[in-house]
Amino acid sequence: MDSLILAATEDTPEVNFVPEKNIFSFSNVSLPEDAIEFYQPIFNWLKEYTENPNPTTNFDFSVEYINTASSKQIFDMMLLINKMANKSDITIRWHYDVLDEDMLMLGTRYKNLLKVKFELVEYSNDED
Amino acid sequence: MELLENNHMELAYKLFKRVNNNDFEYVYRGNFTQNITKSILDLAQINLRTGIAKSSIQKRVYFIMMEGMQNITRHQGLIGDKEIEMPGIFAIQKRGSNYYVTTGNLIKKENVVGLKSKLEQLNLLEPAQLKLLHKEILVSGHISNRGGAGLGLIEMARKSGRKLNFDFNEIDDNYSYFYFQTEILSNNDKKDFSVYPFPELDKNSVIDIKNLHNTLNSDDILANFNGNFNQKNILSLLSIIKSQINKTSTSKKLYNIMVEMLQNISKHADVIDDIPSEGKSGVFFLCRKTNQFMLTTGNYIKNNKIEILKEKIDNVNSKNTKQMSDYYNYILLKSGESDSKKTGLGFLDIRMKSDNKLIYSFRNINDNFSFYALQTSISLNK
Repeated sequence: MDSLILAATEDTPEVNFVPEKNIFSFSNVSLPEDAIEFYQPIFNWLKEYTENPNPTTNFDFSVEYINTASSKQIFDMMLLINKMANKSDITIRWHYDVLDEDMLMLGTRYKNLLKVKFELVEYSNDED
Repeated sequence: MELLENNHMELAYKLFKRVNNNDFEYVYRGNFTQNITKSILDLAQINLRTGIAKSSIQKRVYFIMMEGMQNITRHQGLIGDKEIEMPGIFAIQKRGSNYYVTTGNLIKKENVVGLKSKLEQLNLLEPAQLKLLHKEILVSGHISNRGGAGLGLIEMARKSGRKLNFDFNEIDDNYSYFYFQTEILSNNDKKDFSVYPFPELDKNSVIDIKNLHNTLNSDDILANFNGNFNQKNILSLLSIIKSQINKTSTSKKLYNIMVEMLQNISKHADVIDDIPSEGKSGVFFLCRKTNQFMLTTGNYIKNNKIEILKEKIDNVNSKNTKQMSDYYNYILLKSGESDSKKTGLGFLDIRMKSDNKLIYSFRNINDNFSFYALQTSISLNK
């Protein structure tokens, strides 16, 4: 299956879904004005991947800033990921800045609403 | 029902009314760093591009802004603590086809007389003389110890093709604010000096900024944007705020809440007239009190939407922490929401992140429209 690669913009995330290398990462920021429009191609790709996933799939989410419209869309992505748990050994890793209690809260919320393996991974960003 | 009882409601409307359709005004109050300067220039560039300004005018405005801010940064830090207590101001305004760039910064009172006479002298010079003076300084290398040489002022006078507008405001026995304004006319597009002889100065526009600065000082407002709100503007406003605040948990909250509030304007504000514009008219200001940040937005709303909006905010305000969390989950799990603009999480998220109730107010404009102000506070002592 083809990869899904989206370069980061000022208000949309970097997406690297590369089944060949078994890399599935989603990072940076997600603040689009029209979240549904932006996420549509990602859903389409995920739906296709769900048909025939790798034996193991780790999704790495590392989002610094997010608007509420995106937080709903990301959860919808996770619901899709959740659905393929019978076909692939799935782990969602939610990376959050140690200073960002709201991102930890959001990750915890997602984790509690999903059945899939979900790890909260703290990182420290103290370059400045 | 949480009504906006402090004077910020009045202020929001007062600031909002300063700007006409398709004009804009951005005011920054605080200290200047390279990041902030860059972000302000970015924001201005976006607004200049969406306006009708020809690219030669855009460049001129850009240059004058940069020169003005560099003027502030060069002299920043000379005065010490007083500067932090009494921060300077930078304003870019578009009114019709004209642009105004104004800086205001603290100077020692002993320098007022010298500065004033220097500026008055420059204002007497003809374009050719300005050019000559510029060349003389370059050749003789009379560089002041601040690295300025007064070249900045001369260049600004040449680029604007107008007299330099300035004013002072005495703070105490030792300090004054120095306000310096450059006007750029967009029909002045041929040569730098096409309008010579320079028209007489209208002091009102610089006095207006002086008064605005007083208002912003007394309400501790750090930044204020009036104009069209669209995604591009919002992103540059956000990047200014990002450079203005430290990287802490509170600043991330502030950023996220700002995203929701500003996108609220660009997505939901109503437009009162049919004049085409790139974005929705609105006002935003950020205020810092000793123990909290306050964010205020204002925009037009159709009167028939007020009740639903009130209900929504009151509903979010009435919930306790557990109820808010349950409601958040409910919205996440609810599927089939097809309207991309209405996730329904916005107010809830703001309320949860700020840990304060949302405050709002409506002011009737006419039979169809009202002015709607919304305020969020974020406590700093966490």
